[in-house]
Amino acid sequence: MMSQIDPILLSVYARTFKSITDEMSMSVEQTARSPILCEAKDFVTGLYDAKGHMLEQKENLPILAFSLAPVCKYLVEYFGDDIHEGDVIFHNDVFSMGNQNNDVAVYKPIFFKGELVAWSAVKGHQADIGGNVAGGYNPRATEVWQEALRIPPVKVFDRGVIRKDVWDLIFANIRLEIVQHDMRAQIGACTVGERRLLDLLNKYGLESFESHKLALFDATRKMMEAEIATIPEGSYSGEGYVYFDGHNEGTKFTIRVTVTVKDKHICFDYSDTDAQTNGFVNGTYTSSASASILTFLQMVNPDIPHNEGMVGPIEMIIPEGTILNASYPKATTFGNHLCPPNADAIIRALAPVIPDRVTAGWNNLLASLTTGLDEDKGEDYVDIGFMGLKGGSGAMNGTDGYDHIGMIDASGGILDQDYEMFEQQTPHLLKKHEYLADSAGAGQWRGGLGVETEFIIGSEDTQLVTFGDGDFEPAFGLFGGGDGTLNIISLTYPDGSEVVPNNKDLIIGVPRGTIYYQAAGGGGGYGDPANRDRETLTREVRNGVISSKAAKDLYGFEGGES
Amino acid sequence: MGLKIGIDVGGTFTDFLVAWEDREPEIFKVLSTSDNPSVGVINGLSEIAEKQQPSMNLNTFLSSVETIVHGTTVTTNATLTRNGARSGLITTEGVRDALEMRRGIREEQYNNRYTNVEPLVSRYLRVGVKGRLRRDGAEVEALSLADVEKAIELFKEEGVEAVSICFMNAFANAQHEHAAAELVREKMPAAYLTVSTDLLPSIRFYPRVSTTVLNSYIGPILNDYLEQLTGRLSDNGFNGLLLIMQSNGGVMTPEVARKTAALTLLSGPAAGPGAGLVYAKAHGQDNCIVVDMGGTSFEAALVTGSPVLVNEGLIDRHRIALPMLAIHTIGAGGGSIGWIDEGGLLRMGPQSAGAVPGPASYGQGGRLPACTDANLVLGFLNPDFFAGGTMKLDIEAARAAIKEHIADPMGMDVETAAAGMYRVTCNNMAQGVREVTIKRGFDPREFPMVVAGGAGPIHSCMICEELQIPFQIVPRESSILCAVGMLMGDLKHDFVRTFFARLDNIDWPALQGLVTSMVDEGGALLSEESIPAERQRFQVKLDCRYQKQYHEVSVVVEREWIDHADTAAVLAAFHAEHNRLYGYSLEDQDVPVDLINVRLQAVGVTEKPDFREQVYAGADASAALKGERDMYIFSEKAFKPVPVYDGHAMRFGNRVNGPAMIEQVTTAILVSDNYDCVVDKFGSFAVFEKGREELVSSVLKEAE
Repeated sequence: MMSQIDPILLSVYARTFKSITDEMSMSVEQTARSPILCEAKDFVTGLYDAKGHMLEQKENLPILAFSLAPVCKYLVEYFGDDIHEGDVIFHNDVFSMGNQNNDVAVYKPIFFKGELVAWSAVKGHQADIGGNVAGGYNPRATEVWQEALRIPPVKVFDRGVIRKDVWDLIFANIRLEIVQHDMRAQIGACTVGERRLLDLLNKYGLESFESHKLALFDATRKMMEAEIATIPEGSYSGEGYVYFDGHNEGTKFTIRVTVTVKDKHICFDYSDTDAQTNGFVNGTYTSSASASILTFLQMVNPDIPHNEGMVGPIEMIIPEGTILNASYPKATTFGNHLCPPNADAIIRALAPVIPDRVTAGWNNLLASLTTGLDEDKGEDYVDIGFMGLKGGSGAMNGTDGYDHIGMIDASGGILDQDYEMFEQQTPHLLKKHEYLADSAGAGQWRGGLGVETEFIIGSEDTQLVTFGDGDFEPAFGLFGGGDGTLNIISLTYPDGSEVVPNNKDLIIGVPRGTIYYQAAGGGGGYGDPANRDRETLTREVRNGVISSKAAKDLYGFEGGES
Repeated sequence: MGLKIGIDVGGTFTDFLVAWEDREPEIFKVLSTSDNPSVGVINGLSEIAEKQQPSMNLNTFLSSVETIVHGTTVTTNATLTRNGARSGLITTEGVRDALEMRRGIREEQYNNRYTNVEPLVSRYLRVGVKGRLRRDGAEVEALSLADVEKAIELFKEEGVEAVSICFMNAFANAQHEHAAAELVREKMPAAYLTVSTDLLPSIRFYPRVSTTVLNSYIGPILNDYLEQLTGRLSDNGFNGLLLIMQSNGGVMTPEVARKTAALTLLSGPAAGPGAGLVYAKAHGQDNCIVVDMGGTSFEAALVTGSPVLVNEGLIDRHRIALPMLAIHTIGAGGGSIGWIDEGGLLRMGPQSAGAVPGPASYGQGGRLPACTDANLVLGFLNPDFFAGGTMKLDIEAARAAIKEHIADPMGMDVETAAAGMYRVTCNNMAQGVREVTIKRGFDPREFPMVVAGGAGPIHSCMICEELQIPFQIVPRESSILCAVGMLMGDLKHDFVRTFFARLDNIDWPALQGLVTSMVDEGGALLSEESIPAERQRFQVKLDCRYQKQYHEVSVVVEREWIDHADTAAVLAAFHAEHNRLYGYSLEDQDVPVDLINVRLQAVGVTEKPDFREQVYAGADASAALKGERDMYIFSEKAFKPVPVYDGHAMRFGNRVNGPAMIEQVTTAILVSDNYDCVVDKFGSFAVFEKGREELVSSVLKEAE
């Protein structure tokens, strides 16, 4: 029998779930080694019920977030009765609902009085996952095995006992020692979640937990339905573009979405999207679904709880064989980074119907990774240039874009390295990291500013990997707003020669003393620039983020200093 | 020892605790004067002098005062309201935007209306200058004094009052900063100047530049205020010692405060934890949780022997990397407003009705239901005895607000809705306590909870039930706990230096030399503050981490370990602390450990007032019984008559069994049906879980 719903206790459950996933997140942040986890926070923590329904998540990087519940459901099916107290399961397989090879999840089943009642899970981007290229980004890959070690559901702990042989098999195929420690940190955070959820169950009992969980899903579903109901019913289409598959220069692919709003439900249908590529520029079902959900969540009330009820009214149609859902055994590591063009398509589709709830286009990601030998220390280093890759967000009606926020799939969740730590951890010398003047798309509401980064490479024989986009097409403006600026990466060698890598590239033998330059573009503007507040413009010209020439040419503003 | 006064200036009230040598301490409250808080301070002191028997004039009274300890929020308010000094920043060419970028964070990821916080220095007043140091401090490019001069010219033209200097890698070599500082002092002698490596000579650029700028931003404000205050005090006869509260729970002289104004930024609640410890010690406890619930906010802190320190925090989203007490603040207080979210769930706060218009029951125009209104409906507040009867509460207005905004929309009666508001508020506060305990690796059940603030003791039983905490202490002075804590504060100065080494390969003589020089520096500062050597204490901490980790763990180390180059002892302490915080260590895996920073806290022990002990008066509390009132009992979901006691009439040993209500002028204590209460020898109310007599027996046994 269902126990009665206590509407007040419902608030207590909701608040406590949130606090548990926050605590799990802090545990990972403080104990992980890889800067991707502890500095950039490229991980997600969550709680799920016995069947894998989402109870709550802490989505530091949302693009990983909406893979956890589908994988949890898959695990339940996969292991059936063979799930026991003390088990710990690893998973990254993109052909069973994983989103990206590098994003490895830990799941821990939670038992109460001998019964499976819930799961705690942490998914994080690992510094290495085997495959051909250190770090996992292999622009030449055409098949999954050239990218990564596949980890379908596998128990690394069985009833509390480590399966040493399995553990060693996995880590024998991964380059970096720290990955082991980081996976330990993820297991630790799952244990934190398990303990706290059991405290709650001990207090209120299983019946109360089960019935209130359903009531919570129901309340959240109604909240989401109410949000959707404010969008006029109908079908709306939009496109976003992907440039270069890593193999054939000049290639361009189109993501086509039809968004249908009907009867308090919303459907994202990608049936007309281009076919998968032969490179690693391919999405997985869950990376693409996460992209759609996180984009849509920015158009609704940000306070909506993140549980099964929230995703209930959202339907996804992402046919296998498209660039957003590649079929086995295609390479897919770039898939998370198809979020920006996917978001572009959704925004373009919905802008005419809900003009006050969409932003203009966001700066797309263009990232680089340098590896080499730090001779002073006699140690190898790996650095993802977080500070360089973060451009501006799109403006919306009433609010300027956010400066230097980074791509939409992180939305300000990924942080710059601290400059002095960057110089400790690499042999590079930072020359410049500043807002890029005139990068923001003009508008009554301007786009967020991009940044310029310049450093002197400090290692001989440096390897540089680039991955991303946004160097062909800038962030788009809306309703009279102007476009943002393009992404650029260029290398100036000590002999004066300049090398401009492709947006998905691998360059070896970069010499010491090379100047690395990167511009991350600004976001798109919104509305007619002529209507921008003149006082604000005066201040911006004074502060040098808009030049007086641009103020005059784009905004018709004469008050700027010359 | 002479007369000491603790003065806590808050948003609404200025609290005074007067600690006499020969009688029980006295509590005073006057309204704060927000335009110039020193006026309120003098008003209050005048009132205190006047109320003496026989009454005294202010001059006579103040000349008898030995020490005044003062907590001020002028710097906090100036930051929050953006009324700091007009500021300029001189920094390394190419990195002037770090201050504004804040590493590119947007705290609310799904909220596209969430904008960045305005930087404290406008971009055109952030000037990059040529001159570069490598990561080891070696010069790559000489400092351009011409560039510095250009910045100074700009600052002068622009009327800049406060200058900050922060260069890349200056933690490893302060020469460039000092050269630039010399020029600024020469050309802008009147400007307030902060040099990053003087304030915070440790690695990490963004926290250092942010802290430096904060210090300059509020430095002139604090200076003006201190000048007024010391002027008014000495004009009125005070010639004793004035000490200023710091965010690290210690105190400092006005001379130190003038240079390091940022140390006061989060000092508002910082006296509370130290005061809590005093009351816990009466029960033989060195550890406690201290909570303080006022009108708009709830603060929770942990004390483990001493209040827990953290190495950095935030104010209005600006990072401040100075040691401060780990105090977690949430928007939950008597004024917190109840509302229903779009999913139909009941939420409380963080919006607050404040003092104006206040909760609906204040009858000052507030129409929205606040936590206080729920407490009134549930019978936990006496409508005729609020603030000692100085303010009437309108229960019908409270009921009407709850009915309209909570009960009717949720389809429940007013009482059930009020009970829900109370419960959700308590759950929010329990989460706040979790932040400072469970999240830092401590089990809250092992700590007594010291409860402070006007609204705290009405909610503490349910918070404790939620966290299974069996023991609470409600001090008689609970409503002015911070003023009490100020008199308990020692002089405390924190120092940090970056020192890179692998623990198994330390240059010990260099480290020993560094620690010695830091101790000398701290000792010299304390001596300037007239603290003799025998009352100086020094604590050394090493910030360590496993190689390739990014976050350090601060480990307390003994001086002998340093003196004897005892690597093993340091390592063992690090592994143990890492395990306690994060549930594991890598002790058995032979992972190298790196040392990053050396920290030193120099403590000058001050004389503390003794609280007088009461005479044992027996268990019978019937003399204090005022009557009965109907109150909501959660376990029965119904109202029942509950005895009401006059807290002022209860003496050492008096006992009441829950459910019971104990009323004082400034606070009310709700002893729920799961707890009993006994008065301890300092007059504090010791509230313990039913059946757990052993929690209070030792204190009572002494007396019996």
